[in-house]
Amino acid sequence: MTQGSRLYFAVTVLMCAFVSINGVGLNDLLERASQLSDKLHSLSTSLTNDLDSHFPPVGRVMMPRPSMCHTSSLQIPNDKDQALKIPEDELLSLARSLLLAWSDPLALLSSEASSLAHPERNTINSKTKELQDNINSLGAGLEHVFHKMGSSSDNLSSLPFYTNSLGQDKTSRLVNFHFLLSCFRRDSHKIDSFLKVLRCRAAKKRPEMC
Amino acid sequence: MRNSGAVLILTFIAKLILQAAGVSPPGKPRLTSCRSPEKETFTCWWEPGGDGGLPTTYALYYHLENSETVYECPDYRTAGENSCFFNKNDTSLWVNYNITVVATNALGKNISDPVEVDVVYIVQPNTPENVTAVVVHDEQGPFVRVSWEKPRTADTRSGWITLLYQLRVKQEKDKEWEVGLKKKRKYIPRERSLWIMITIFSVFIVLILTWTLNVKRNSVKLCLLPPVPGPKIKGFEKQLLKSGKSEEVFNTLVIQGFPPTTDYDELLVEYLEVYDNEEQELVLDGKDLSEDCMKSKSPSDSDSGRGSCDSRTLLLEKCMEGREGSGSGSDQHQYSQHGETSWASTESSESQGPEPGSPESADGCGKTWPVVFSSPQPQTHHHYQVGAAKPAYHSVPEILNHSSPHTTPSNYHQLHHQDIPQQEGRFSKPACRHSQSYNQFNLDGVGTPAPGVPPSPSLEYVEVQRVNPENMLLLRPLSDPNREPEGLDCAGEDYSKVKEVTNNILLLQRDTSHQCVDYYSQDLDNQADQCTTQQPPHPCKPAVHQSNSRMPHEGMRVMGNGYVDSTVLMPSY
Repeated sequence: MTQGSRLYFAVTVLMCAFVSINGVGLNDLLERASQLSDKLHSLSTSLTNDLDSHFPPVGRVMMPRPSMCHTSSLQIPNDKDQALKIPEDELLSLARSLLLAWSDPLALLSSEASSLAHPERNTINSKTKELQDNINSLGAGLEHVFHKMGSSSDNLSSLPFYTNSLGQDKTSRLVNFHFLLSCFRRDSHKIDSFLKVLRCRAAKKRPEMC
Repeated sequence: MRNSGAVLILTFIAKLILQAAGVSPPGKPRLTSCRSPEKETFTCWWEPGGDGGLPTTYALYYHLENSETVYECPDYRTAGENSCFFNKNDTSLWVNYNITVVATNALGKNISDPVEVDVVYIVQPNTPENVTAVVVHDEQGPFVRVSWEKPRTADTRSGWITLLYQLRVKQEKDKEWEVGLKKKRKYIPRERSLWIMITIFSVFIVLILTWTLNVKRNSVKLCLLPPVPGPKIKGFEKQLLKSGKSEEVFNTLVIQGFPPTTDYDELLVEYLEVYDNEEQELVLDGKDLSEDCMKSKSPSDSDSGRGSCDSRTLLLEKCMEGREGSGSGSDQHQYSQHGETSWASTESSESQGPEPGSPESADGCGKTWPVVFSSPQPQTHHHYQVGAAKPAYHSVPEILNHSSPHTTPSNYHQLHHQDIPQQEGRFSKPACRHSQSYNQFNLDGVGTPAPGVPPSPSLEYVEVQRVNPENMLLLRPLSDPNREPEGLDCAGEDYSKVKEVTNNILLLQRDTSHQCVDYYSQDLDNQADQCTTQQPPHPCKPAVHQSNSRMPHEGMRVMGNGYVDSTVLMPSY
């Protein structure tokens, strides 16, 4: 084999290695993203439990209905068959849209957490801050995933949040806080589910992963 | 009024009779739990509140959060008694189910409290399947290997649900379980295979590089280790060294013109500036010397180093014997004899009489003198200046006086000179321990040149012996045989060689050779040969006379090294 052809062969092999390594990079990214989303959901669950420990019964009556969440207009799959039919980039855009929709509300929650009329206020406050950080990290991570996946279009749905304050009196503030948190808990579960489906979908070359 | 009262009494009596009989409307049922094993279906169970003694039927009704449509449970049987099973089609995720159970019997019905259920929050997978625990004996001791499989219903392949396994261990007699979390790591083999691939590729690349380097071995060696040029000395031949003739080898190493005398002279020598200017006065005119040693009257030199008249700094060893009274008889010849004295001493010598010649006490290698001499012309007084330690050779003008041999009864040195600037390199120091330098100076006589004397400049050295009372430099050629030879290596460099003395004219040979090794025969007849016996680098240029074979004048002595001591002639002045 001449030296030139040997060089070409080496270069080709290197490029193959690079490509395969690049694919692994996406899997790693998705793995990390799903871990973050899992943590997000578990944090919101524990926050909900903390709030429920001392919740006035009247609050349950006052609680708005879940369909009042600002993200309820987003069309999402409702069962497994629907979810597994969705293409990967659409799954990713769903997750990113939901994530994007919660950055403002979480900022509101974070600001209101310190003045909540609740005995577990401090715990709630710290957990809310942690929630906010994780949301930002996950958002950045999903941006990387998006670029790595190389999708042509970036069709993010807009889910605006128009509320500026949680209420005038402490009870309504508490109730609204609880309600927002419940909406977020559900949406975090959606994000987690979609990312985990995406994670296994991207690693279909290695079925032993999922 | 009567009728209503009658009805009331009748109802009361009926209740009493029913209570005695033990039947009542059903109690309130209660939803106990709802569970989804795989996030695709779910089941809800309730417990009845009491049937009231009569057969009671239960019905489950639900509605979704965003609609008012009430549905009844589709399947009461699959999950058993008092249960409702929602299959895939009836299950929606991320939607709240509002579920109530209604118990109905003959006497009435009862409705349970409503329960809001989101299916994704009630997911509880089934148990692992085929759980086995086997005791294995190893060289490290027996251990228990527990193996299991995932529950059949769980769809982990698509990522719909993610399962974490946890091992619980309890000894038979213990009451509590120990818990260890065991995560199912399915992606470790993936990483391992990646590293294997990377290793294989890097080995492959290394092999390719090694093969390439092997092929291009020579060029790589040339690139990394460039050949270092060996030392090369100009004029040096290895062959000579190998042949063992060290003398030849070392002779080739000798550089003509080395060591440079310029620096050396700067340190030690004060130069005598001799001006070939008729308006100038001889510095040896006593007063002039001390007063005007800073003066320069030479138009040709404007920056001679005539700063210091103090030639004490110019201590040069005199390597020859002094000559007393060998100054020129006439005023044309002036010799100065310097020991450790400055030029100023010349005047002192003049006033004090000739120096006792303490410098003449030759102590081995004597001290050299800046050789200065004046032209023998009576009219021409040359201003001698002691230059500072500077290569002010150029300041020494041509002083060579050529007077007709007949008109000037005195001997004078006819020095052929060269322009000093051209001869800067001539003042090379001999490699001897005593710094000896002879100023190369030109005396250009204003007088009529001796016949046959070409005006071409040449270089000779003359040693100034002393200054006689008549302010005349007594010059003595360095070829004085009376001089003690200082050694081969000391004597040769800057000495002038006397060609011949005719008609009281001392003709000095231009001797550019730096070799002292060549001795001239005492017989000046051989001067021609002496020329040729000089070292090859500097061909001798017999300057003055063509007639080389004349005998030196009477009284002239030719020193062993070819120099003429014309001081013998001096007393005649």
